[in-house]
Amino acid sequence: MTYKDELTKAMNFLAENDRVLFLGQTVNYSGSAIYGTLEKIAISKKIELPIMEDTQLGISIGFSLKGYIPVSIYPRMDFLICATNQLVNHVDKIEEMSNNQFKPKVIIRTAIGSRNPLYPGVQHCSDYTDSFKSMLKNVDVIRLENSNEIVPTYKKALKSDRSTLIIELSDMYNQE
Amino acid sequence: MNLEDIAETKQELINFEEEIREAYESGKIRAPVHLCRGNEEPLIKIFKNIKKEDWVFSTHRSHYHALLKGIPKEWVRDEILNKRSISLNNSDYNFFSSAIVGGSLPIAVGTAYALKLEGSLNHVWAFVGDMGAEMGVFEECTKYSGRNELPITFIVEDNGLSVNTPTQKAWGDCKNGKANIIRYSYERVYPHHGSGRFVQF
Repeated sequence: MTYKDELTKAMNFLAENDRVLFLGQTVNYSGSAIYGTLEKIAISKKIELPIMEDTQLGISIGFSLKGYIPVSIYPRMDFLICATNQLVNHVDKIEEMSNNQFKPKVIIRTAIGSRNPLYPGVQHCSDYTDSFKSMLKNVDVIRLENSNEIVPTYKKALKSDRSTLIIELSDMYNQE
Repeated sequence: MNLEDIAETKQELINFEEEIREAYESGKIRAPVHLCRGNEEPLIKIFKNIKKEDWVFSTHRSHYHALLKGIPKEWVRDEILNKRSISLNNSDYNFFSSAIVGGSLPIAVGTAYALKLEGSLNHVWAFVGDMGAEMGVFEECTKYSGRNELPITFIVEDNGLSVNTPTQKAWGDCKNGKANIIRYSYERVYPHHGSGRFVQF
């Protein structure tokens, strides 16, 4: 099984949960590597959003307040940077600022852009894993280093009470 | 609170906020408080349409919103005394607030979307100040909510100031001024990237 196969398997597993929704750009239309891992998932569970990264994560939080488990998708980590406000100021802080009244749980899926065979430039393949780890104290940050971690990581994220930021390595997609 | 009696409710709100002011001035609240005053009547009228099951998304200045949503005065007072005036939140009353300007707007949109998916008859009410209403996030949220017919109403609370900055002056005095924008349409020939033909590297 390749890295991409495992991601597809993980997404299909998540989709079996009635409360899971997939949100973002390229969840229903091609254009990113992530799209290929969502093709078998019912359209009713996928919400294609315009490019509004920070608002997207806020919308995801709003769904979670109603009991949904949003999988908020950012095809490249460079794009997730644009959602840092909602990630740091709300996903990470709502439980504390609300004195435990609200505890949103969002699964954030992103990827470090591939450098091979085409180099996409510095704005499309940056890795901010360590920066997010240092900024987030209530969100688990996990980088998927190899394919056998993928399904267990998403299963754990689904089961967890906390939000999880899961970072994929696009250069690994075709590797075992 | 009896929202049908505007005069009585107005006085209750003012009395509550006076109590908070006195507590603050006597040093009992070791945190910022953003006191409300002067907007009682329009708020009471708005809240007449807000059901208990509805969701309210508020701002850093939320005391009146919380009380009018029906949250008990004692609870609101305790939260304020416990340094949480700036982010009052009560899940039992579907009441959320955030101290990030414009920050709660997209969260409100997400909750409204969830209500729509569930076929709920409940509604979301999202409060924002006049500077927040000039931000890009407000444009995104109102455009998206409108085009997707989400059950949400945005309420702009306009006192002309953002902290102490005159909102409109900061944006520019020429209110009728327009940016120079040229927009043209064309049909894309090549795909998003590449040429459309497979290349072996």
